[in-house]
Amino acid sequence: MSFPFWMLIVVLAVAAFSIRVLGLFAGDTIRSSRFSWVLDELPGLIVVSLVASSLAGQSIGVWLAASAALVTAYFANHVILTMCVGVAAYGGLVWVGL
Amino acid sequence: MKHGALTILPLAAGAAVYGFAFGLLAAQVGFPWWGIALMSGAVHAGSSQIVAVEQFAGTSAVIGAALAGAALNLRYLGIVASLSEVLSVLSFRMKLLVIHITGDENWALTMAERAKNPEIGAPFLIGSGLVMISVWTSSTTLGALVGANLPNLEQFGLGFAFTAAFIAMARGLWRGASNLLPWSVSFVITIYAVTLGVPKAYAIIAGAVCGLVAAHIVRTRRRVAL
Repeated sequence: MSFPFWMLIVVLAVAAFSIRVLGLFAGDTIRSSRFSWVLDELPGLIVVSLVASSLAGQSIGVWLAASAALVTAYFANHVILTMCVGVAAYGGLVWVGL
Repeated sequence: MKHGALTILPLAAGAAVYGFAFGLLAAQVGFPWWGIALMSGAVHAGSSQIVAVEQFAGTSAVIGAALAGAALNLRYLGIVASLSEVLSVLSFRMKLLVIHITGDENWALTMAERAKNPEIGAPFLIGSGLVMISVWTSSTTLGALVGANLPNLEQFGLGFAFTAAFIAMARGLWRGASNLLPWSVSFVITIYAVTLGVPKAYAIIAGAVCGLVAAHIVRTRRRVAL
């Protein structure tokens, strides 16, 4: 493995860990400040943004499968069941050509 | 710890598919299997690894590729910050270990389960994190070793499993009507940004930040109303 490959691994590893450590210190600082509400709100907002980023620009079939997963999640509030229904809906919709 | 390790297994299966595909990609770029194993273990950030290797394949520019990958990881500032209370029971050395094994999936699952049961904490995060980093490292390595002689598992819907899982986790984090406006703002801004061509990493950050502004407005109005 040549030097650029090693460099990419090292730089990427250092960058990834540094960001996590920054988050660790930021978390403790924010928790004890008047902005502690940010830590309560952030998880939901990031998860919603992750969902949105994976749905943006996708076919109607993907959105329908996501709707099926949302309905399941709303009533069941169960991760594994939602995944099973979502994947089954996605597979079925792909199968019928959506 | 065992509870977290078992609960994360369906998500780990999804990660294994991506890991395998990434291993193939990285091997085609010229990484040996042990280099891929080293990268997956040391970086442990799937999407940023994929982006960095794709950029590296196109340009061979190390800094540019690493920056592109690191930009995807900026959301970990918020992710790790939000774990402040969960990690508070651990020593500093353990915190450093745990934040390394924390990824999107085991973080979101921990937070969603914790919203239902406040006793869920660091052991759950550690158990699920250990499974995720093991599965990610071994699947990427296997992808590089086995080659391209397998069917495309994405077409069977396994790629959608992550989206469905995150939807379920969002449900677990839902705390009522006060979330409606901030979450809608995050969702719409992220969709809009991605549609405009903004890289997903920045779109996610933009969506979360705009959602925080909306949450602040909701909280301020409630305080004034009281």
